[in-house]
Amino acid sequence: MGKVLMKGNEAIGEAAIRAGCLNYFAYPITPQSEVAEYLSRRLPEVGGLFLQGESEVAVSYMILGAAAAGERVFTTSSSPGISLMSEGISYIAGMQLPAVFVNIMRGGPGLGGILPSQADYLQATKGIGHGDFRLLVMAPASVQEAAEMTMKAFPLAEKYRNPVMILGDGLIGQMMEPVEFHDNLKTKPVDKNGWATNGMDTRGSSQRNLIRSLYLDPEVLNRHNLELKAKYDRMQQEEIRFEAVNIDSDYKVLIVSYGTMSRVCRTAVDQLKAEGLEVGMIRPQTVFPFPEEAVGNAAAGKSCRAVASIEMSMGQMLEDVQRSVKGRQPVHWFGKCGGEVPTPEEVIEFVRSLAR
Amino acid sequence: MEIELEGIVVVVGNYGSGKTEVAINLAVERKKAGFDVRVADLDLVNPYFRTREARSLLAGLDIDLVLPPEDMLHADLPLLSPLVAGMIRKPSQVTIIDVGGNDAGATVLSALAEAFGGKQYHMLQVINPLRPNTDTIAGCLNIRGQIEAAARMSINGLIGNANLIDETTPADIYRGVEFVQRLSKESALALRFVTVADELLPEIDMERMACPVLTIYRQLVPPWKKARVPQHQFNGGK
Repeated sequence: MGKVLMKGNEAIGEAAIRAGCLNYFAYPITPQSEVAEYLSRRLPEVGGLFLQGESEVAVSYMILGAAAAGERVFTTSSSPGISLMSEGISYIAGMQLPAVFVNIMRGGPGLGGILPSQADYLQATKGIGHGDFRLLVMAPASVQEAAEMTMKAFPLAEKYRNPVMILGDGLIGQMMEPVEFHDNLKTKPVDKNGWATNGMDTRGSSQRNLIRSLYLDPEVLNRHNLELKAKYDRMQQEEIRFEAVNIDSDYKVLIVSYGTMSRVCRTAVDQLKAEGLEVGMIRPQTVFPFPEEAVGNAAAGKSCRAVASIEMSMGQMLEDVQRSVKGRQPVHWFGKCGGEVPTPEEVIEFVRSLAR
Repeated sequence: MEIELEGIVVVVGNYGSGKTEVAINLAVERKKAGFDVRVADLDLVNPYFRTREARSLLAGLDIDLVLPPEDMLHADLPLLSPLVAGMIRKPSQVTIIDVGGNDAGATVLSALAEAFGGKQYHMLQVINPLRPNTDTIAGCLNIRGQIEAAARMSINGLIGNANLIDETTPADIYRGVEFVQRLSKESALALRFVTVADELLPEIDMERMACPVLTIYRQLVPPWKKARVPQHQFNGGK
């Protein structure tokens, strides 16, 4: 199959099917409703199931149930809907179940607006919902990458028995780009008989599997939390992904940017290079775990004078960038919110002001 | 071959077939061919990349664009301005109606049945064979049936819009023309024109295009790209 022209939302839906996920529960919300629209037609063709929940809260527990039964399962939503799901996500993390959540972010807080935003960065990366847990969070910058990350999300969720989130902004969901689906990203689900409540007859076992997040004994709950922490530490070791742009040059300014915002910054970097100002960029592809070492090392580059976190939020990723730079350089923030996307010209002007 | 289209032009098709880009560029081309042109953004289902994104271009060319009220432009609500029925009742020389995708987007047309009553119109289905669901003749006919049922109107023409945006090759264009010609034969729907992006046009052998070509100066671009500036030749008044 060659390239086809798809909306990000459609490509995410198709990618999930290609990844072998035939269970999709969701509740519509702009700007990601096309995933449900697409899968409501497509899933029955491949023997899959789309069920619309009564609400996002209901959906999160439908995900929990299917994941507990050992099925590959995913949902998609946008900011306010993800907030509603956060209780269920906490239970899923506590129960150590693999599931995939896609957040196509819109402006907030509250109902906010329907235009693209990156305002849920902290929510996604610092442990959504109550309790002490993390999601593995990947942030695509193109329709192609959204499809690939969706396909990779299912085996990663199984590897860690932990929810994985795809953090895209409205533009990633809505824009159209050519996309190709790679069969080499197809994976077989892992053997889940050791823990899944998939029926003793199904797995030919006389052993009961119990899935729970309730641990009344504090000593046991502490051990459980340490076990979860060990998984997040392992993610830091094994799952960090990022793209380095123009990092071999004598860059004066280092940009850290992800998703749609990084596409704008990329245009700015190319344009500034043509004008004789070298600018480097680290584009996190995973935002948890964050590419702390890569950002720190790049900030320590011998010609680097300033670091900028450029984001469609009011200085959320900035905290991770500051933590990574460890005071070696001044770290600045530039961004817009609420559906406004900074233009390449605005980024250029800001970067020039740092290089002066 | 010149594009020949006057009167009411209703642009329909599946999601992402390129209706809005076609509608905007057709409006500019018809204006520069000397017609009075009005455009209605009737996309009630799509939240981004709508005709309204090109409002300054159209205003600059003195092309009237009918939109929901300014403060409702980013509302997540299906707003149908009463002005649309008015412009159908009293059409300009060219009246272009950009409808939302699929049957869901076309449903709004059924609410305008009274305005359309007895009027001649072109209802043109935009086809991009590089999109899912319209990569086969059967797929295109299926979408056609769904749109006609929802709109309670009949499609009577085709627009070929084969493209992969920036990655379109001349081979994609030639294959796209063959595809819509075959669809035209099997559906008995007239092929009104096909499209080619202005950047690709120099690479296209016009001898191989057996139908009129509308040049697309892309307007619906992501924030890191610039919209293209239309360069149609002005033909003088008609």
